Amino acid sequence: MSLEELDPVIHTPARLRIMVTLAALRDGDDLSFTGLQDLTELTPGNLITHLRKLEEAGYVATQKNGSGVTARTSVALTDSGRKALENYTTVLRQLLDSASPN
Amino acid sequence: MNDGTGTDQEMNMNAAAAAAIIAEADARARHVLRPDHRVTLLVWGAIWFLGDGLTWLAVRGQHPYQGPNPGGYAAVVLLTVLVALASVSQSRAESGVRGLSVLRQWTFFLSALAGLGGAFLVEGALVRAGASRPAVGVFEAVAPLLVLGLNYLARFSAERDWVVAGLGLWLVLVAAGGAYAGPANVWAVAALAVGPAFVLVAALDHRRQRA
Repeated sequence: MSLEELDPVIHTPARLRIMVTLAALRDGDDLSFTGLQDLTELTPGNLITHLRKLEEAGYVATQKNGSGVTARTSVALTDSGRKALENYTTVLRQLLDSASPN
Repeated sequence: MNDGTGTDQEMNMNAAAAAAIIAEADARARHVLRPDHRVTLLVWGAIWFLGDGLTWLAVRGQHPYQGPNPGGYAAVVLLTVLVALASVSQSRAESGVRGLSVLRQWTFFLSALAGLGGAFLVEGALVRAGASRPAVGVFEAVAPLLVLGLNYLARFSAERDWVVAGLGLWLVLVAAGGAYAGPANVWAVAALAVGPAFVLVAALDHRRQRA
């Protein structure tokens, strides 16, 4: 097995952090953009860039509610995003197992 | 702040580094995003134990039974409601979580509040209908346990939490069994059976979170 088998959309520190953070939410919940920013410690610009890539892959869904100063952008993992993260962690575990001396 | 935007260097992240990120991000997210009921459960355990225990000390020598001091009883009920309110509105809103689980928490809180309010109205109706003070006393001791117990049992459908469901069932059993202890001793039964039960559930929750 090799690292190439890991989903390249997820396999960056920032996007992996975003996916794992959103996966901790319960079904039906979402997280505000600022809440996600606090937890991932990404700058707003970087967070937007990574979210766009994840959204293009269909792994996250963003929703903007309200307008002006009361606008709130919320982010949640999609079903396919949750499955993609599960696949990623399964492959990662196999990689780590195959690399261990035992 | 992390300025990484998916550069080649980031793509070269090895498997061990990825596993470390998953562990760290998961622990951090769960700590911030998942509600922590341990402190609330401990406070409730103390309120039930002390509230019902002190009530028992106050009423055990009454002949005929006159019931607890209405002011003290109201204070305990109000304290319980405030602790429940604090646990519902705790920092999850500040962490930015919104959605079904937040709605569920408020639904459970408001349904328990409605149940308690309804029980007090029924108590008033019993007095009005001429029920004896000891009979009303039994009702006022067990009604909150029944309301809360059924509320915890109902949570199982949403949270699939056997520990919470077990606590709910236990509260209903204590209410049903304690009622036979009479208007004075029912408070002692509730103090000894409910207070420690909340502490036990807090300990189980603590163990589960550390696992």
